[in-house]
Amino acid sequence: MTTKNKAVLVVGDSPLQTELQQLIAEKGYTALPLSEAALQSDSIVLALEVNNVDLEAKAAHLRQLDELLAPEVPIVTTSLAITATEAASWTAHPERICGFGTLVPLAERELFEIAPALQTADEVVRQVEEFFQSLGKETEVVSDEVGLVFPRILTLIINEAAFALMERIATAEDIDTAMKKGTNYPYGPLEWADRIGLDEIYAISRGLHRDLAEERYRTAPLLRKLVLAKRLGVRTGQGFYNYSEAKGD
Amino acid sequence: MERKTVGVVGAGTMGAGIALVCMRGGHRVKLLDANQAVLEKAFGYMQSVLSRDVEKGKISEEQRAETLQRLERVSDMEQLSDCDVVIEAVPERIDLKKRIFADLVRICSNDALLLTNTSSFSITEIAGGLAHPERILGLHFFNPAPVMPLVEVIRGKKSGEEQAQAVYRFARELGKVPVMVTDTPGFIVNRVARPYYNEALRILGDHVADVERIDRIMKLAGGFKMGPFELQDMIGIDVNFATTQSVYTDFFQEGRFKPSRIQQRMVQAGTLGRKTGEGFYDYKK
Repeated sequence: MTTKNKAVLVVGDSPLQTELQQLIAEKGYTALPLSEAALQSDSIVLALEVNNVDLEAKAAHLRQLDELLAPEVPIVTTSLAITATEAASWTAHPERICGFGTLVPLAERELFEIAPALQTADEVVRQVEEFFQSLGKETEVVSDEVGLVFPRILTLIINEAAFALMERIATAEDIDTAMKKGTNYPYGPLEWADRIGLDEIYAISRGLHRDLAEERYRTAPLLRKLVLAKRLGVRTGQGFYNYSEAKGD
Repeated sequence: MERKTVGVVGAGTMGAGIALVCMRGGHRVKLLDANQAVLEKAFGYMQSVLSRDVEKGKISEEQRAETLQRLERVSDMEQLSDCDVVIEAVPERIDLKKRIFADLVRICSNDALLLTNTSSFSITEIAGGLAHPERILGLHFFNPAPVMPLVEVIRGKKSGEEQAQAVYRFARELGKVPVMVTDTPGFIVNRVARPYYNEALRILGDHVADVERIDRIMKLAGGFKMGPFELQDMIGIDVNFATTQSVYTDFFQEGRFKPSRIQQRMVQAGTLGRKTGEGFYDYKK
């Protein structure tokens, strides 16, 4: 699909927003913030909504996009902390709402997952697949559940590492080393969480616990407290590790 | 580095691998097994690994011979009396392990480090009631021991701090990457890795995605080298299920570790992965 003169809206407060905007611009689209949407609504081919932490803001943004954009424009929303089906239920045109999920850094993601809501039209799913492929990513369509596949599994691994750290069975460094050298993980779970943002991981964990309501998905108290203390990882200088005291290089 | 005499109890896959790691590290090794055929097989394995090293130019023929000369095959536990370090690597049966440690405590000097390679039992339980428990610790290698860099050094309730540091140094001198962990179910790796298998199974059971899709997503989106189902097929579904059950039981049925019925049914059916030609994937084709 040609990207010339096509605008894509990227809305929401998440580390995904900045990276998606960059990626979209690199591929030749015009990346627009919500503030410019009304002026250029004719050129908008698709909207991405990426709030995960503040679900009230997510609902408000989705409703705003739903009112603003012509009913045939797909609205693609992160289904990391909530199902796409629930997000779609908030809008007047649920058939154009489709879920997706990925985590920063996007350069490391060869594939994006797409999760159609129960309400999503087949044509919209096809458009969303084509759009992500135009960004140079492979796609896989999965059924709609909080956290999709990769973000959900990784969140549970990070949550377990956070429990282990809270219980002080080992240091953060040793937990990360063990997972890299004992099972070939690309990153240790705690350093990985710091790079993604602890708020994003917490949003997924909380969403799974809320929707599936099992002890299995209980968030590690340490993870929740770190988020409340704004220790969100590399982005804020501190998370499971402290980055602000690192030697400047 | 100080050259030690290391006893390895049990010459199966793990025991043979651990013995080889110690021999390569310059230590004298006494490999104990009551079964002569198992000892022969272990020796054959070491010979072939070291021959490959010679072929690849990693070591000379002379070094190969020297390394093999450091091995003594023994069949009587009493022959381990002069060992500085003993590593137990027998099958995962608690009665067997407790019996071996009761013997080792009697036979070996009070300064000897007595280590278990268990992946599923509590070090504290193995050491329970024995004299000088400060010298009993876990030293958990990963399969294949000569290849995998990690070892977990596990401190039991009564393990000594000095002894823990000595084991850590010993592991490092073997060229391994040691981590320290207290005696808790699954230690680090077998605990923190549980969701990689268990949550993938849950996602499969809830029909969020199928086996091939989940594996593909974890590799391409997550950057993992192998998908959770390919990995279970390689490990053996029975082995993976047993590890999950053990962690679940030892955490007193904590919901985070609840085993999967999908795995249970596969174990019941004898569909155990690559070793039976069929697991999540079909290997007979």
